[in-house]
Formats: sequence, structure tokens, C-alpha cells
Amino acid sequence: MKIDGKRNIWKDYQKEIAADRYFYVRSCVRQNFFPGSEKTFLRIMKDELHKDVFENAAHTTCSGIGYHSDVVPFETAMTMVARQFSIMTESGYENFTTSCITSFGLYSEILETWHHFPEVEERIRQHLLKATGRTFNKPANLSHASDVIFKFRKEIAANGKYKLINKNTGKPLRIVEHIGCHYSRMFPGKGIGGAEYPYVLVGMIEEWGGEVIDYPERRHCCGFGFRQYLVQANRGYSIASTKKKFDSMAPYKPDFILTNCPGCPMFLDRWQYALSEMEGITYGENGHGIPVLTYEELAGIILGYDPWDIGLQVHQVPVEPLLDKIGIPYDTPRKFLTMDGKMMGQPNAPSNLKFYQHE
Amino acid sequence: MGKLYDKLAEDVRFIEGLKACLNCGTCTAICPAAEFYNYQPRQIVDILQTRNDEEIEALMKSETIWYCGECMSCVTRCPRGNAPGLLITVLRSVSQELGFFVESEKGRQQLAIKRTVGEWILKYGYCLYPSEILPQMHPEQGPIWEWEHENMDEVMHRLGANYKKTGPGILRKIPQEDLDEVQRIFDETGATERYRKIEEFSRIKAGEMGINLEPGLDNDYIRHIYTANEKDHTKDA
Amino acid sequence: MNDKVIVIGGGVAGMTAAGALADLGMEVLLLEKDTRTGGHVKNWDRLFPSRRPGREVMDFVGKSMGSDVEQRCNVIVNSIIRSDDGFSVQLENSEPVTAKSLVIATGYELFDAHKKEEYGYGIYDNVITSAELENIFMEGKKLTTHDGKTPARIAIIHCVGSRDEKVGNLYCSKVCCVTGVKQAIEIREMLPGCEVTSFYMDLRMYDRNFEELYYEAQQKWGVNFIRGRLSECAENPDHSLVLKTEDTLTGRPLKLTVDMVVLLVGFVPGAETRRIAQMVGLQSGADGFLLSADEHILDNSTTVPGVFLAGAVKGPACIVNTIADARATALQVKTFLSSQNAV
Repeated sequence: MKIDGKRNIWKDYQKEIAADRYFYVRSCVRQNFFPGSEKTFLRIMKDELHKDVFENAAHTTCSGIGYHSDVVPFETAMTMVARQFSIMTESGYENFTTSCITSFGLYSEILETWHHFPEVEERIRQHLLKATGRTFNKPANLSHASDVIFKFRKEIAANGKYKLINKNTGKPLRIVEHIGCHYSRMFPGKGIGGAEYPYVLVGMIEEWGGEVIDYPERRHCCGFGFRQYLVQANRGYSIASTKKKFDSMAPYKPDFILTNCPGCPMFLDRWQYALSEMEGITYGENGHGIPVLTYEELAGIILGYDPWDIGLQVHQVPVEPLLDKIGIPYDTPRKFLTMDGKMMGQPNAPSNLKFYQHE
Repeated sequence: MGKLYDKLAEDVRFIEGLKACLNCGTCTAICPAAEFYNYQPRQIVDILQTRNDEEIEALMKSETIWYCGECMSCVTRCPRGNAPGLLITVLRSVSQELGFFVESEKGRQQLAIKRTVGEWILKYGYCLYPSEILPQMHPEQGPIWEWEHENMDEVMHRLGANYKKTGPGILRKIPQEDLDEVQRIFDETGATERYRKIEEFSRIKAGEMGINLEPGLDNDYIRHIYTANEKDHTKDA
Repeated sequence: MNDKVIVIGGGVAGMTAAGALADLGMEVLLLEKDTRTGGHVKNWDRLFPSRRPGREVMDFVGKSMGSDVEQRCNVIVNSIIRSDDGFSVQLENSEPVTAKSLVIATGYELFDAHKKEEYGYGIYDNVITSAELENIFMEGKKLTTHDGKTPARIAIIHCVGSRDEKVGNLYCSKVCCVTGVKQAIEIREMLPGCEVTSFYMDLRMYDRNFEELYYEAQQKWGVNFIRGRLSECAENPDHSLVLKTEDTLTGRPLKLTVDMVVLLVGFVPGAETRRIAQMVGLQSGADGFLLSADEHILDNSTTVPGVFLAGAVKGPACIVNTIADARATALQVKTFLSSQNAV
């Protein structure tokens, strides 16, 4: 495989990412399942990069999950998005950055729709005004939070305490990167590196010392499928898609999987558990599974933040083997303690997938 | 031209999504749903471009349009600039508007989605909410989620959330005045009406099927649509 | 005094037009930007449908110019000035040359397969183009995978860079289908143990003996034809390739592992063509190829008096049609110049 072939494509898909003064909107899935990631993102932006990242408490979901499971009409989703833009405008910002990839895709789709059909934009302005009295400006810059971390990957590396090297072998860690479908599939030009060989996570991995693995099902959707997961009867679709990816990546022996969409790590993490229960299959080494990280978590790891502050304790597939490989210390007795150091019980261990807890 | 086709064509996503299909198959080749279900997105576009009302109505009443996972892989590949994924969203939209969705097993599931995600948006301002994601409805979330569910306040606090509290932060309590704005947006833009239709058509269907439907999630009809897999969705016809 | 004609472009079209013009009594100067004349056909081993050697056509066309055509290679045209007397062509590092009439025969380029990103050309080792395959045939090399193994399965992909809104080329490149059928046969002939599968959308067997070649490919050589456009190509650890298509005739998605992939790359308007066309004020169609004065009845002339077109500047064309076209262009030039002289 010729990496230069990819580099040529990457340079065709550059994108303008704002440098500061971000209006930040949160992700429903991320807040529910890996909230530590959003916390870590803001910590990095403020403490390491000294950027202005503003959150207005009045913002809500963009309704993306409702839209993509087809209960929320397009007209409503557009007006919800318009409301978010209104809050950005009244807060005095024009650089919009989203935590969620589905949101990013939805905002992109809506801005494109308004660009091609100005009468639709006008109609939505009327809806918003009538429903809420609000007006709005469109963002000057739209990015996903992973674009922002990508933009500052060198600064993060400079402040970093760890590299993505296996301390036992001295070799770079082998990393699978997985991009959310709604990042660049609809509009390849809106993703760094385009749709076929996206660069946003590859860039982070390269900068932080790791080796990127390509594998046949790299581009395959993780299988969220919105309604295909939300309704129990449909979950076979979701788990089958994810299993396809694991079966394809396993021969390459990745040390971990890096993701940028909030949904994907949740599925890649939990379906490994489900597969281990249903079929006794585990991927990775010695029944440990392949750890799945968010880009915020990875950045936090590089910077030497406490794993339990980053939120690694709420992964079902243990991250400890990876921390061991990098040489990052962690305090297992503190893994499941409350903020003020009290015990709150521990999760049960799965039957087949290894799990790390205080004995 | 068919009335149903015209209705679909009112949606800008339909205009964006249907140029002209030459049946090359790149969409179906890459579609995760086509790997799993008895489904080809190419077929959907092919039917739509016939503009035949009978076929389109049959499509909207079928299982077929509910198999798509809206990943948009098809959009990346189509050499004619079609977007089967977008066309699916329009078909699903009109299918619910006209009540066709209750004629299929997968279509009937929309009520379950409306009563979960759909209502959480209005109640909390989020599509998902921790206390609503019950381990018993989501065994795949694993023992880690069970433990989180039991200790949610403490876990959220530990992870730096502002759970249920005012001000900015993770899973903050979104102020009522903002939730009211969302409700008014829903009323103004047709979501409330869509929700009402999903409920009403489902109510009639539950009656026809003789399955008990009550408000909330704890009733036979919801349990049925949430779990039923009585048709062979993955077998070749 | 013989009327002077400059033919810009020394491929099959330009050479044929130059030879025919010389036969008709013109004084002809042929300008070629490369080190040799011959254009694309000089790189083509055997020609469809009969699979006769391309060399034979090249030799004939070359000889047809005889010693009557002045040929200059390594020439760069900088600008063209039009006057009542004709045209003055400004050259790089040379004196300008003048003529009463110009023939633009600057041809085409092959689609750059890198642009069809999902096919992995330039990234995965065992993805090659039809031109590269033809080169292997021409040089008498063995057909092997990148690491020297004999391939057991080869896929031939139709419509690469053509009929494709995503890369900006809506048109059909016309000759790739029959090229694919020809190359499928040639692979099977060279490697009888190798399975060949061709992935097509339509099979454009438009000319004499093409359909019979397709029949032969199936019946005699066992080439498989699947109606489905390649959606994605990915690489296995052993560098074999995984293809995702749909067999649209049976309506089933298909995943196939092969050792090598051959991309049938189409025609694109050449950069030189665009450059030269701009110099004389010629229009292009929406497809980027040059427009003639009338596609049916004046297909060799343009809206600029004295400027004529020959060959693939006007769009994808096969050699048979190009040679006929170039000879027609010569006749149109003669008619034009005769009418000018009569005035």
C-alpha cells in the first residue's frame, strides 16, 4: 500500500477550521455514554490551548436522532437548527463547533439545502420567528470538535506526556481509525481528507506517534442505523455491521480503535460485550477485547490526565491493557469511586470479556 | 403524473435525491442494509422513477423502506448524483403522514420511537436521557450501564457532568422556557401533528390487531412492536 | 505556390490529416509536443476488434506522410495570431510559423484514475489501468501481481472516469467497453488459469465485429460478465483486493476477492487541447471537448474560418473513425483553401 497515494488525496480536501471563539453544542449520545469526553475536550481547549469555547445553557439537541429515525420532520429539524444558530448569534459568536457527528452532518446538510433553496431558508426564518420570536445569523465557520483537536494536534503533542508507542516493544501502536458516517459521506469536501481516506483522525495518530491500520471494512458503517438500534427488533442489523468490522480488522491486530462520532465508540464498545455473551467471541488479546477510544479521551491520555477523570472507567471493553502498553499509571481501587472518594459498588464482570475492578 | 409522486416531489430532499438512476448498483454494493436485509436501495430509486402511484403506495406500505440505516454511504458513490438515503427519509415521512406505515411490521415501530426519543426531546431537550435508557430494554449496554444506572447521579458527578442542574454543562437541566420554545417549534413546523398522526394511526391499527395499547411504554402493543420479528426480513423472496 | 497548412498534434488524427493534405497538394507542417509522433496509439499493443498489432496502423499512417510533410517534435505552441492572410503560430524557442489554415488534432488524455478515489489507484499495489496493462503486453512482460505472483483472478472495471457525475464526466468514452472485452481475451490467452470477471454497466459493442468479440470472449474464453459498477475496492493483508459491487441482474450485493484490478479509464479533454482551443477562440461543449461547426454536416470545421478539427479533440473516438475523420478534415481544408484562392 502506498501511503503517498493517500497523501495526494488528503491535500485536495483541506478545510477551513476556525482558530478561536467557538460556540460549542453538545451531543446527546456523548453526554449519556462518555460524558468524560466532553469534559476533557473543554479542559484541553481552556487549560492547554487557552481558547474561548462558549456554551449557552439554552441550547438543546439539534434533534438529529429524532430526524434520522424519521419521527421529527425535516421542517422541524431545520427550525431546531435555526434556533441553535439564533442562540449562537445572541451569544455573540460565529464559529460553530459540534460535539456530535450526526449534528455536524445535519447542520451541513441544512446549510447546503438553504444555499440551494433560499426560499426554504426564508420559510424557516418565518417559522422560528413565529414560534419563538428569534432571528439568527448563519455561522461563518462550521466545524466538528474533532476538526478542532486535529487543528491543534501539534500543540497537544508539544504539551503531551505520552506517545502512542508500545513501551515494551518500542514500536508505534497499531491503531484502527473509524470515522462517523455523517462526517463526510454526504459532502466529502466538508471532511478533512474527504470521504474515502479521511485524515482527521489519521492526522492525530501520526502526530502522536502511532501507526494507522487500513483494513477492508474500514469504511463500513458501525451500524448505528438510528431506528436499527433504537428498536430492539432491529438490533441484528446494528450488531452484524459492527461484527463485520471486527472480523475484518482482527487479523491486523490493532491495539485500539479511535473514533470521532459519539455513537460509534458506544457501539464498537458495547457490541464487543454483546458478541462475547452471545457467541463467546472476543477480539483483541487474551479475551480483553479491542479498546475503543474517543478522540477527546486519546488527547487526554496523551496529555497525561487521570484516566478516571477522562472517563475511561465507563467503558465496557477494558482500556487498562492499552494504558499498560503506553505506560500510563492508573489506580484501580479508585476506578469506581465517587468524586469525593466514596465507594459506589462496582459493575459485575461480563462472562467472557475481561474486566478490571478492585478485588 | 401520479399524485403520490407529486407529493413526494414537494420535499426538497426528493428533488436533491432523485436525478435519474441507471441501475449501476454502486449504492446497493456498499449499503449495510443490503448486506443484512432483503433490500436493495437501487430498487427503491428504480420504483420511484417509474412515477407509478400504485407501486409507490405499495412501497410506502412495505417493510422495504424501513430497512435503511441512513448512513448515506449510497450518496458518496452514486455516479448520477442520486441519494437513495435521502429518498428513504422522504418516503418514511410521507408514509407516516398518510398512515401507510402501520401496514408493515417495521413501520409500526415508529410509535415506539416517538414515545421514547420523540418525547424525550420535548421533555428533556435531549434525544436520549440516562434515566430513560433502561438496562432491561437495553441488555446490550452491559453490566457497566447497569451499574451506571444504579449510581447515575454519582457517576455523572464524577465524570464532570452538571446532571439535572442549572447552568451550562453535560446533561444540564435545560430551562423550561427553552423547552417551551422547542414545543412551539414542534407545533409550528408540523412535528406535533406528525406525533399525533403516529399515535392515531397506531391506535387504529392496534385495535384492528386486537392488541392492547395504552399511554406510555408499559403495554402490549408497545412491547409487541418493540420486539416483533415475525416476518423473514433477511430471507430472499 | 502550395497553400500552407499547419497540423497541431502528431497522433493518429494529425498524422493521417497531414498525409492526406500532402496528397491533396498542400504544404504541410506537423507540430508535435512530445519527442515522437504517434500519440496514444504508439503505446497500444493490439487493436480491437481483430486484435491486429497497433504497430501496423502506426507504420501505415507514418508512411502516408512520406517526405512531403515537415514534422517537428518537442514543439511548444505559445500563441496563435490570426490575420487576413491566415495564422501565425508562435513557438517556444523558435521562429513563428505561418499557414493559411490550421488543423487542431491535439487529441485527448486518459482519465487520471487517482481521481476515482474509492478504487484505490495509486494506493493499493495491484490496481492498474488498461493503459498499463497494454504496456505490459507491448513490452512482452509477464502479467504478475506487484510481488511477482501469477494472478488467479483479475477483475476488469468498466466506466472509470466516464458516465460519472462524481468526477465531473457525464459522457460515455465509447471505446473502453470493447477495449475491456479485448483485454479480457488477451489476459485469458496469456494466463489460461486466470479467471477474468468484467464489471460493466452497459456493453457498448457499437461497431462492426464488436458484438462478435463479446460473444467470443464469453463462449471461447470463458470471461465472466457481471452487470454492476464497482462501488469500492479495498486491500487485504496479502495485497489481494476486495471488491464491492451489486450483480444488478440478480439483485444481489456481491463481495469478491481478486488478485488484480484493471481500470478501463476513459477519455478526458486534453490540457493541450484546451490551451490551443483558447488561443484560436474555439468553444467547448459541456463535456469539455471541442465543438465543431455542426455535428452532423460540418463536423470537421469550426466557427473560426480556416480552423479545422480532427480526431478525439471532439470527443471519444476509435481509430477507425479517427482515420476516416482526419481524411474528411483534409478534404474540407482543401475545399476551404480552393474557395479562398478563387476569390
